[in-house]
Amino acid sequence: MKNIKLADSKKSSITKLDNSKQNKRICDTIFSKKSVPYLLLMPAFAFYAIFWLAPVISGMMEVFTDMDGNFTLIENFKLMFQSDLFGESIKNTAIFAAVSVVLQYFIALLLAVLLNSKFRGSKFLMFIAMIPMAITPTAVAILWKTGLIKEGWINSILMFFNIVKKPIVFMNAEGLSAVLLVMLIDTWTVTPSVMIILSSGLQGVQKELKEAAYTFGASKWAIFKDITLPIIKPSIITSVILRLIAAIQVWAIAVMVLGYGKAPFLVERIAFYVDVVPGLPTSEKIAFTLSFTTTVIVLAATVIYLRISRRKTGGNN
Amino acid sequence: MDRLNTIQKTVVAIILATMAIVVIVPILFFLNVAFSSDVEMSKFPKSIIPSFTLTVKVVPADNGEYEIFYDNGEGYRSILTTKNPIKLENHFRRQYNVSVPGEKLLRDFSQTRINGPMEFKYQKDILYNFKQFFAIVNNALPALKNSIIVSLYTIMISLTIGSLAGYAMARYKFKFKETINVSMLIVRMFPTVGISIPMAILLIKFGLFDTMLGLALLYSVPNIALTAWITSSIFVGINPELEEASMVFGANRFQTFMHITLPLALPALAASSMYAFLTAWNDTISALILTNENQTLALVVYKAIGTTSSGIQYAAAGSVVLIIPALVFTFIIRKYVNQMWGGVEL
Amino acid sequence: MSYLVLKDLEKRYTKNGPLIVNKMNLSIEKGEFIVFLGPSGCGKTTIIRMICGLEEVSGGDILIDGESVLSKKPKDREVSMIFQSYAIWPHMTAFDNIAYPLKLRRVPKHEIKKKVMTAAETADIVSLLDRYPAQMSGGQRQRVAVARAIVVKPKIFLMDEPLSNLDAKLRVSMRTELKNIHIKENSTSIFVTHDQAEAMSLADRIVVINKGMIEQIGTSMEVYHDSATKFVASFIGTPPTNFFKVKIEEIDRELYATSKSFKYKVQSELKKALTPYINKNVDMGIRPEFIDVSAEGNKPSEYLCDTTINFVEPQGTHSILIANIGENETKIMTTKYMDIKPKTKVPLYVREGKAMFFDEETTRRIK
Repeated sequence: MKNIKLADSKKSSITKLDNSKQNKRICDTIFSKKSVPYLLLMPAFAFYAIFWLAPVISGMMEVFTDMDGNFTLIENFKLMFQSDLFGESIKNTAIFAAVSVVLQYFIALLLAVLLNSKFRGSKFLMFIAMIPMAITPTAVAILWKTGLIKEGWINSILMFFNIVKKPIVFMNAEGLSAVLLVMLIDTWTVTPSVMIILSSGLQGVQKELKEAAYTFGASKWAIFKDITLPIIKPSIITSVILRLIAAIQVWAIAVMVLGYGKAPFLVERIAFYVDVVPGLPTSEKIAFTLSFTTTVIVLAATVIYLRISRRKTGGNN
Repeated sequence: MDRLNTIQKTVVAIILATMAIVVIVPILFFLNVAFSSDVEMSKFPKSIIPSFTLTVKVVPADNGEYEIFYDNGEGYRSILTTKNPIKLENHFRRQYNVSVPGEKLLRDFSQTRINGPMEFKYQKDILYNFKQFFAIVNNALPALKNSIIVSLYTIMISLTIGSLAGYAMARYKFKFKETINVSMLIVRMFPTVGISIPMAILLIKFGLFDTMLGLALLYSVPNIALTAWITSSIFVGINPELEEASMVFGANRFQTFMHITLPLALPALAASSMYAFLTAWNDTISALILTNENQTLALVVYKAIGTTSSGIQYAAAGSVVLIIPALVFTFIIRKYVNQMWGGVEL
Repeated sequence: MSYLVLKDLEKRYTKNGPLIVNKMNLSIEKGEFIVFLGPSGCGKTTIIRMICGLEEVSGGDILIDGESVLSKKPKDREVSMIFQSYAIWPHMTAFDNIAYPLKLRRVPKHEIKKKVMTAAETADIVSLLDRYPAQMSGGQRQRVAVARAIVVKPKIFLMDEPLSNLDAKLRVSMRTELKNIHIKENSTSIFVTHDQAEAMSLADRIVVINKGMIEQIGTSMEVYHDSATKFVASFIGTPPTNFFKVKIEEIDRELYATSKSFKYKVQSELKKALTPYINKNVDMGIRPEFIDVSAEGNKPSEYLCDTTINFVEPQGTHSILIANIGENETKIMTTKYMDIKPKTKVPLYVREGKAMFFDEETTRRIK
């Protein structure tokens, strides 16, 4: 039996075990060190080729062919732009994404900092703060709907404390107040997950770095501003992108609490065309185009945000 | 260095107390609704503590009938007058969540003939709303089964393909490694909605539309990349010498992977499973797009909510069932989430 | 007047918990280089953190330049610290790290630049000022920590095991540099370490600490040759002091330290001190370099016992011989008999006057 030596003799023990085969040359090529990683990645490649690449491409193709199958650049986009509530959905999505992310970060950072000092009960409070994010989003919508209906508990509380004389009909909210409503509910749900990320970032700041600043005269605020904040910047950047991506795709709360069309968002429109008026050929095209547009917006937002944050950091991350 | 003065301490306490209230109060009210009967739903203002009993006032009326009074916060109101046991039973069941046979009710009420108007207390059937949810809402029970099935599929697919990929990324140096790293990142963050609709068409071609397997395939798209990422960082942490020792003593690569590497990577696998589970269990939009008859529980609950607010307590009960596994798993993996996100840079 | 005074200093972490620092009293003069020496967990880091202002004091007082500083923040105490991990802020350049204390004190920009340059020159890192910590070696980061500590010209310069994270060679060269900087800056310094060789080479005075209490304060020579307690004798010196349990007996009006393996005549200068211990047990300690293999001629010594050499460890300039006296493994340092073969039976002598005796209960040296 020939003893084929590989370039890396440490792994030669593997080939020794394959020695028994007659056509060991073939075995060696298949199981040689070079090809193993590619083999292991093959299932993933295959999966993504079929179930990601293909849909993405076919989706794009759908967007650029009209209903008769001919190539068109803007026909479907025209359909989309003219579709019901499209303009408003873009406006709402933009406002929602921008404002809610900022709002959530302020609250999450505040809570993360407060809960970071390990006082008695801080673990328990952290646990409580995390509950909303563990609840299925669909259930969250129902949770809040039970409160927002005319005889719901929100009105009960408001009237109990005499804040209002008559119950507010939340369900009639329209326009910006509807968006605000969705934003508040979303904040309730999502802030915990932001807080967790920031919290772990905060814990990663070594104690001695803060002590050194304190030794040299920094006040608590200076320590936070000059030391802590810059160090947790990577956590903040990562999580903002993820939040942004999710925020752009908001829809379930709007639909379940207020109903279709009351607070239009990009993905809410997609759900509309899939759930409420499927079957129309225009619906299909509009849905495809909307998906495509949403995806493009998400990617664009990500890239833009990364560019801005890289520049601010001065390229040292 | 960390001491706060009294004013600062009070402010902190107020902020944290507010947070706790804002989180807990809505949940309490929600749970209350999930256990509320129909009449309780019409009560206004709502109470925060659910009642486990029902109190009605019964007044004897002519013709052997009884008048039932119920207090929904604004004094006793007359609700129903009858002596029909079936009508009584249905009324008590549907309106009050009380399951008592009609004959027994009549017997109890007969005491009022002797004693005059009386109050009666009955135990509420606590699980009534839950039973109703699965009875009224179409497909609720099958949907529960479906959600479990699709979650399991997702876990299986993501874990097998993902951990192999993760192992490759951890243990080997090869060309394109960086490219693959970046592309996995892209796939992980790709908005699922972008491929859901094209996926539907693809699944139709494969005959997998409206099946749990088809849905699981979609869910696995981000999850395989996520699993690969989670497992690769654990694999990197496992000393390669442990694997080399195994091979020196006679195992081949595959046996080593199964007997040595995988068991050591258990936490990563557990975390990946739970992520996969949560993706599948919680999702609504993809299920909406990719299924027709075979819906998942999240989708069913979504549809159950309707636009009117009547019957919302049944949807609430269904949501409670939906929430429980999600709650449990999220808390189990939160430790892992901590490790992952702390200091992660893009 | 003393520059830094610790008065009955105490520290405990929980209300009724153990005392980490136990009624410590210490006076340090201006310009001294003091070393806190002791094993891990003895409390030396806790003390220096209390002096800095990073830990609450449970009892006692700390006075700097005559004033109690307990109520003052570190900045107001005018102390500076080099942390064991250096604590260099990773997101700032070396320049910004050093400049930060000045920035906090609102020193004008051009002055900051001047001061930072001066400190950087002293610490020899001028060429690294634009770099980030991630781009520096451990030794370079340490110098940044040094520069940052001296830039504010503190009254007291605290160093918490600053050399422990460096490799052996760098540790030796850096310690000379640190001492030079101390001299150049005219500072008063407290240096914490568990390495007794480091302590011996750097200190004006060494404070030997064990379990929260001071065992001895003295110069290097004093703690070595005139050890106050058993702990000091065992902690200082390599190879460590050999210890034997002995009984003091009076035979023919002479005092002997006796054990199962030997009967050693006690040196005359200790006769008076040891008389109260007649028929009692004491601990006897002999440093390896003071045990001779056979009488060494011009160095007067007293016979101890015969023994067999088990191992020989040649070190070049000397050899360490390992033998057993009774049950005690004994180390002998010799320059004369470096090539001796194992299993050789030899007589052992103790250099005159070099045997140490310690009270069994108080562990203090009997003298």
